Amino acid sequence: MSVAGPLALAASNSLGALAGAASAAAPAASDAVVPAIGSIDPWLVGDPVDWWFVLRNVDYLGGGLALTVGLTVASILLGFLVGFPAGAVEVYGDGPAKRLVETVGVVLRGTPIVVILLVMYFVIGVPQVNLGIGSISPAISAGILGLGLRSAAYQSQIFRASLASVDDGQLEAGRAVGLSRFEAIRYVVVPQALRRSIPGFQNEFTIVLKDTSIVFAIGLAELLTRGYDLFTEQTTAVLEVILFISAIYFVLTFTTNRALDYLGTRYAIPEGESA
Amino acid sequence: MSDDAFLRVSEVSKWYGDEQVLDGVSFEMDRGDVTVLIGPSGSGKSTMLRCVNRLAEAQEGSITLDGEEVLSPDTDVDELRRDVGMVFQSFNLFAHLTATGNVALGPRRVLGLSEEEARDRAAAQLERVGLADQLDSYPAELSGGQQQRVGIARALAMEPKLMLFDEPTSALDPELIGEVLEVMRALVDEGMTMLVVTHEMSFARAVADEVVFLDDGRVVERGPPEQLFERPEKERTGRFLERIASHD
Amino acid sequence: MAGATRPRTVGERVADADPSAGRILLVAAGALFWGWLLVSWVNRWLGGAIAPVGEPLVAPETVEGAFAAVPGLAAVAADAAFVVELTPVLAQGTWLTVVITGVSLVCGFFIAVPLAVARVYGRFSAWLSLGYTELLRGTPLLAQLFVLYYGLNLAASVPAAVSGVFPRDVVWVAILGFTLNGAAYQAEYIRGAVESVDDGQITAGRAIGLSKLESIYYVVLPQALRYAIPSWTNEFVYLIKYSSLAGFITVPELYYRADQVATETFRYTAVFLVLGAMYLALVLTASKFMERVDDRVAIPGLGVDRER
Repeated sequence: MSVAGPLALAASNSLGALAGAASAAAPAASDAVVPAIGSIDPWLVGDPVDWWFVLRNVDYLGGGLALTVGLTVASILLGFLVGFPAGAVEVYGDGPAKRLVETVGVVLRGTPIVVILLVMYFVIGVPQVNLGIGSISPAISAGILGLGLRSAAYQSQIFRASLASVDDGQLEAGRAVGLSRFEAIRYVVVPQALRRSIPGFQNEFTIVLKDTSIVFAIGLAELLTRGYDLFTEQTTAVLEVILFISAIYFVLTFTTNRALDYLGTRYAIPEGESA
Repeated sequence: MSDDAFLRVSEVSKWYGDEQVLDGVSFEMDRGDVTVLIGPSGSGKSTMLRCVNRLAEAQEGSITLDGEEVLSPDTDVDELRRDVGMVFQSFNLFAHLTATGNVALGPRRVLGLSEEEARDRAAAQLERVGLADQLDSYPAELSGGQQQRVGIARALAMEPKLMLFDEPTSALDPELIGEVLEVMRALVDEGMTMLVVTHEMSFARAVADEVVFLDDGRVVERGPPEQLFERPEKERTGRFLERIASHD
Repeated sequence: MAGATRPRTVGERVADADPSAGRILLVAAGALFWGWLLVSWVNRWLGGAIAPVGEPLVAPETVEGAFAAVPGLAAVAADAAFVVELTPVLAQGTWLTVVITGVSLVCGFFIAVPLAVARVYGRFSAWLSLGYTELLRGTPLLAQLFVLYYGLNLAASVPAAVSGVFPRDVVWVAILGFTLNGAAYQAEYIRGAVESVDDGQITAGRAIGLSKLESIYYVVLPQALRYAIPSWTNEFVYLIKYSSLAGFITVPELYYRADQVATETFRYTAVFLVLGAMYLALVLTASKFMERVDDRVAIPGLGVDRER
């Protein structure tokens, strides 16, 4: 854990920025009073004392959860803003622009997210961003930039595939009614392509959500990092803490998937799948 | 007919959920007979055929093949299917195997022949259907007629006692139908027992020993082709035959 | 040959030559990369037959001198020498990365196939399979590794039979984690492929007397696994990249070693850029390799033209 060590300090300074003031509390002390627990249920995984420790620190984990969700949303948005035009360039562009987008995409998709995050943090050295209401620490900016750009590289592939899957006749028909090439793409092709992107987008959303856990490497106190901090403090509670946060992740990915499923059926075009 | 019929179908009924698709169907065949099932689509012909090798399960009635009850729970279904070859409307050739591979799979894996024996048998069967020059072609490289002939060779390679044909020419372009019917005629001449679902009335007329007309899951009329085609007793039969004829 | 018939413009020649030049450069870089890795590994196994173990194959000073002599490259000569100094550590880490990825991928595959088959053809087992894949795909891989390493402390209970195969027993924990996780993802890909095989294929198998399992084994899987290759390549690439997470549970693979060097030397830029390039090279090799496999096992009409 060579990286996490020295950076833990920097991280604990920055973690409140996105998540708001509520999250900055330190883990509750482990020797606090444990309520009397009756007979121990043989079906219970782990030790009630340690579960009680987890429960007492729910607020602390909640702060991490807020950062996890914030990182996910910000990264997905950045990924969409960059990835959608990139996908369009790959389909409709030509020459150097297309080649550049493709090359950057290959590099971002071929490098582990942990390496991308380290490069953003240490090599590019994203500065602190000051907003009116507060500031975003370098680590958080690096996290969003790393996760966001990597997601853009994947989202560009999703959009490229869905744009390409729209029949060429659609573009021609648009041109035939007098739309310019850009207008035909904008008003005819894109609306169809976006709907077809939903399944791929769903996949991408959960990948980003899960991979926010890897900002651990640059010491950002999101859910998993806070879990790590907790169980290093009370080492007997390791399993309880990790199972608890895994359950949170599972609920998040599960509900996100179902929500996007709903979106997919809500906005589906009848018979739209037959390309 | 005689009590020692080779295939005896009696009072077979089948439902899909609430919908009855077969309603007390009965007919029988002797060894070497060719029986053709005709009828409008949805009349239950294909389902009837599939009940014989239990690709579909009849809920009522009895089917005996060579004296053995087919519908009994004790029947070894895999053993039954070894003895009953089937040719499908949509060919269903194994897409990842060559013509030889398609025909050899059953002998190799079901009959337990050696790789070499299975390939030899496959080559012989493919020659029998006139495809000696396509042994190593994949299904996608063959025409529809050729694919269906591979399908027939695949069934023949198991040396079946009975062959089932489920609309073998319905998925074919008109100019390819002839080559498949020709192979089937040759099988008739060899004395193969065949139960055929088809819309090819001239084929039925030429080779069938008996024609069974099914409608709404029921046997409306059955008899030798000359009688059924020339002098149908039931009005429905006549109407169906007229409709078919006007399409030809 | 077309060029012989009419004189070609310069532009055409450039356009023709350009991709091939880029290609040659890429192939040369690949050959250099794998040549260096293989020689480094062999050198280590032979106990330093070519260069002393832990020393670069080429002296950093030589590289530094060579770079300094070329105008334009002189500025990065010191960095180049530093990177050369890193090579033994990188080669060592890459070995572990490659082994962990390869072993996990293969083991995961053998779990994934039954999972996928159960999901499509099973009843009760379909629910079990669904539960497994949803759970493993719904939680972060890093959290799963933490459960195995910190939560269950599995590194302490590695069976004696396999203990000591790797420098640290924790490598087995990583392999277990990637196998279980990868199996869930591979099962999804294979399930999709199994579902895309036409139902008539099983019917035809059953009609010649194969049992249901035999039909799946001899007829469905050979087709489905071919369909699955492109998406399976994705999983291969993912696994190469995510094997870096083993570093978080102290497995001395590529990322872990590079990270250590970076914190010791504070030369983050050089180390992390080289690290990224290393993974990129591994990933590109894997996807090129799988493209070749896909071509090799291709069967006319299968996958390209699925509708009849």
